[in-house]
Amino acid sequence: MKANHGATLTISRALIYIFLVVLAIVTVIPIWLVLVNATRSTVEIQQGLSALPSTNLLNNYGILEGRGLNLGRGFTNSLFVAVCSTVLAVYFSLLTAYGIVVYDFRGKQVFTSFIILLVLIPMQLSIIGFYQYMSRLGLTDNYASLILPVIASAGAVFFGKQYFESVVVRDLIDAGRVDGAGEFGIFHRIMMPIAVPGAVTLGIFAFVAAWNNFFNAFILISSIKKYTLPMLVQLMRGDVYRTEYGAIYLGLAVTIVPIIVIYLIFSRFIVNGIAMGAVKE
Amino acid sequence: MAATNSHKTGFRFKKDYYGYLFIAPFIIAFLVFGLYPVYNTFRLSFTDTTLMGGAGDFVGLQNYTRLFATPQFMKAIGNTWLLWILNFLPQIGIALLLSVWFTSIRLKIRSVGVWRAIFYLPNLLMPAAIAALFFSLFSFFGPVNQALVRSGIMAEPVQWLQNQTVARGLVIFIQWWMWFGATIILIMAGMTSISVSLYESAMIDGADEGKMFRWITVPLLKPILIYVFVTSLVGGMQMFDIPFLLTDGRGSPSSSILTNNMLMYLKFSSAQGHIGAASSVGVLVFIMTSVIALGIFYFLREKN
Repeated sequence: MKANHGATLTISRALIYIFLVVLAIVTVIPIWLVLVNATRSTVEIQQGLSALPSTNLLNNYGILEGRGLNLGRGFTNSLFVAVCSTVLAVYFSLLTAYGIVVYDFRGKQVFTSFIILLVLIPMQLSIIGFYQYMSRLGLTDNYASLILPVIASAGAVFFGKQYFESVVVRDLIDAGRVDGAGEFGIFHRIMMPIAVPGAVTLGIFAFVAAWNNFFNAFILISSIKKYTLPMLVQLMRGDVYRTEYGAIYLGLAVTIVPIIVIYLIFSRFIVNGIAMGAVKE
Repeated sequence: MAATNSHKTGFRFKKDYYGYLFIAPFIIAFLVFGLYPVYNTFRLSFTDTTLMGGAGDFVGLQNYTRLFATPQFMKAIGNTWLLWILNFLPQIGIALLLSVWFTSIRLKIRSVGVWRAIFYLPNLLMPAAIAALFFSLFSFFGPVNQALVRSGIMAEPVQWLQNQTVARGLVIFIQWWMWFGATIILIMAGMTSISVSLYESAMIDGADEGKMFRWITVPLLKPILIYVFVTSLVGGMQMFDIPFLLTDGRGSPSSSILTNNMLMYLKFSSAQGHIGAASSVGVLVFIMTSVIALGIFYFLREKN
């Protein structure tokens, strides 16, 4: 009886591992295709799928350049927008979260509930009003309209609140006050260094969100010099590139590789961070 | 001792107004970049403003009545719900199944962290790039046709993306593929926070795994399931990048993958730039999504 039970367990475990392997292959194949095909010529790609890279990376880059698609400039633009957004989102979200966690001011409960409410509201649907307002201010086709709104990121504040609730030490704050530090001095010099792991997690999500943001950039940015990578990806679907598969895959790879590198370095922060940002109440 | 304590509380109390200074930048940015655009979108939806013609006139509910009169609007709403539900159900199903396996003491699955890290990866990638990838894979001269024809499975290439079922199926697959890993992480976090002693006492009472899942795991997971459901719904109702870039940006074939946001964009990018009409799409979907999301969140949460 007992041996029989053990055998069923072994079989079900084996089946589960097979299932997991199949699912992992399904997960990785599209990504692998992009990376491998970025190094293959269009002729090679049309001859069939391959698991191994080839030697046409530079050639593919040349094709993109030759057709007027400036991948390097798109990369720099994306990097600029994503880095600025990350710095602002991390700093101001932690500032707001710290204010909620440490001080007992009137209206604090209402404000906190309001933050949760904002997480659950589809703010992107006000993009038309946002666009018209920005154009009145002369801020369309300007990165400010993409970057500045991240100062009010409700999800990031919620994450920061959860994080500070677990790391803030009241005695450290009081000790800082006794030493004559101002309230902002305490935040900058005592709490920020303690909050670095939380800031890293928050920063990764802010960076990825800004890096991948297509819709807002697509609506707000119009001159081709200012195009970010997702907008170049959209251009690559045009007729000029239609059959230049190697070049298209290279363009896609450029958007994906930095994110994969970040993930390989910080995956632990990321996986822990997702669960912490969830509204569990 | 008591004196020190009251001294401390008094000390802190005097500083509490600093809270307003700390949250002030958020509130200002929210008013300027969050609330005002929402108001502005509502305001524009009652006008016939165009990008070309400048400030338009007040036209009352005209944009709304026109919208309801066009079959395209109901089609977009229906499509968005369909594409969302059909990717959400398998997403939550697979995530629950894998979470049960990964947390099972009996199965002892190895390297859970590695599996989870692999499954989560697609969530971080640029949706626009993924859509462009599938567009190229399934295009007429693309690798899928090449492989199928060369291997003799098909006699000649097929226009995959001109088939409604294929186009919808691909949007659903991509959305599922990008999100099931994130859902696993959330559900596992919920499961590991359930006390082991509950399962132990249930086992003593003779409950099997199915019963324990039904009567312990699911009820205690409810808050996290509601969170996953509501955030996925809110995201799903704003679906844009993938259906927009998978075919021609107008929801082809025959508007089968035209979503709410794509319709809003089509009005915005029309020759005249009908931003009044585009705003009315935004307003209606905003109201529909907010009412349902907040309703589910607060109604189910209170009962808990």
